[in-house]
Formats: sequence, C-alpha cells, structure tokens
Amino acid sequence: MHCSLRIASQLSELKSLAEQLDVLADKWSLPKKCQAEINLILDELVTNIIEHGAAQGEWIDIALVREGQLLTMTISDDGPAFDISSCPIPDTTLPLAKRCCGGLGIHLVRKLTDSHHYHRIGGKNIVTLTKTLPKEGS
Amino acid sequence: MPLHQTMNATVNTEKNATIFALQGRLDSNSAPQFERELTDYLNTPAGHLVFDCHDLDYISSAGLRVILNIAKAYSACPFRFVACALQDHVLEVFEISGFDSFITIEGSVDECLTQLTTP
Repeated sequence: MHCSLRIASQLSELKSLAEQLDVLADKWSLPKKCQAEINLILDELVTNIIEHGAAQGEWIDIALVREGQLLTMTISDDGPAFDISSCPIPDTTLPLAKRCCGGLGIHLVRKLTDSHHYHRIGGKNIVTLTKTLPKEGS
Repeated sequence: MPLHQTMNATVNTEKNATIFALQGRLDSNSAPQFERELTDYLNTPAGHLVFDCHDLDYISSAGLRVILNIAKAYSACPFRFVACALQDHVLEVFEISGFDSFITIEGSVDECLTQLTTP
C-alpha cells in the first residue's frame, strides 16, 4: 500500500498533513495512538525543514509505503542540507532547571521510529524512516 | 477560529486554581498564540495552575516548549502547576521527553484540586 502527500513549506500546512493522515488512518485501519505517532514524526520533520531550511512556497514531498506491518516513510525537500543524525541527543533525565527544548523534536522522531537514514541527492534532502505498525486489534 | 488556529483553551477558576481546558492540537501553529495567552502566568504566577488535557488531541515539541516554560515559571514561585487527564499518546510524548519526571500528572481535574488544597 502506498500513499504520497505533497505540502507547501509553510506551518499552516500541518493542518492539511493531519487531515490527510486522518483519511489514511481510516483506509489502513490504524489505531489512534499509531496515527498520532506517525503524525508527530512527520510534523517534527516538516516543522524542522520549514524553520531551518526551505524557503516559503517550496514543496515537501512525503511518501508512505506499507508492507505488512512495516511502514517506510520518505520525506524530501529542496532546502539546505540538514542531516537529522547530526543533531545532539538531548539529556531527558536532567532536572527541570537544566532542561531546554533544543533537539526534542528530533529525539521524539528517533524514539518513535526503528531506523532513519539521511541522503543528499541532487540538491535534495531525503530522509527515510521505518516503523513497525502494531498488529490490527492489538 | 481562523483556519490555522488548531487549539482552543477555556479558562475557569475554581477554589485557588486557574484551570485551562485545552482542546485540539498544540503544535508549531498554535503554540505561539497559546504562549501569548499565558504571558501573565509565565511572568507573574498568582495562584495554582491546572492544564486539563482531556480534549488535547495532539502535542508536538513546539507544544512541549510552552509546557516546559510554564513548569519552570511555577517551580520558581509559591504556587504549583499540575496537568491532568492526558490521552495515551500525549502521555507517551511527555514520557519520551522526560517531562513526567518534573510535572505532576493527575487523572482528573478533581484529583488536581484535591492535591492543590492538601498542604
């Protein structure tokens, strides 16, 4: 099963992303929690691309491919090179006074996926992530 | 509500606490506006603060940033900040981020109020 989404690089498009995932979750019978996780993964990556890179009006392409319980997500954009693997991992065990929010979005992406790979091809950032979906009814 | 505004907060006061009932999606679209609504609470907390998250359908790291700022503001004053009724996947985001270690999370608004009135 395959699904392609294209959104403009502006934050208001997050609403459109969520709506498109609503439709997909129905079609693929995804549990609510799983849908929210996929939404969060894509939201964090898209927000990152918009805030750190791509100019307004450029496009972000998202492809979701499901083979059994394996979901592969590919996000590509034309913005400046940015490798999520290079982000420092925040220390989530620090006491409140020492906590800051930097890197938390990418930390969530890493925790909610099984693998992530970054490639820079033909002036595009291409991030590929995999996630194991829960079995239906579980 | 403009199209991009995806979150709504209803404010009530009960006993010695202000209760924000959050509804919708707290993401990078709605977080800046929500943070502006919280300015007084961030700068000069004047009583306990409760976030009722029963109808909060979604939170991203942009929303967590606001929650972190509130938690910091209330750790430095005589009043307390408590969150309650988090949906499963919202609680999961709090846990992955380690926020459950410094934010008190209760099951319901009533439990929060009981907590806050117990010295």
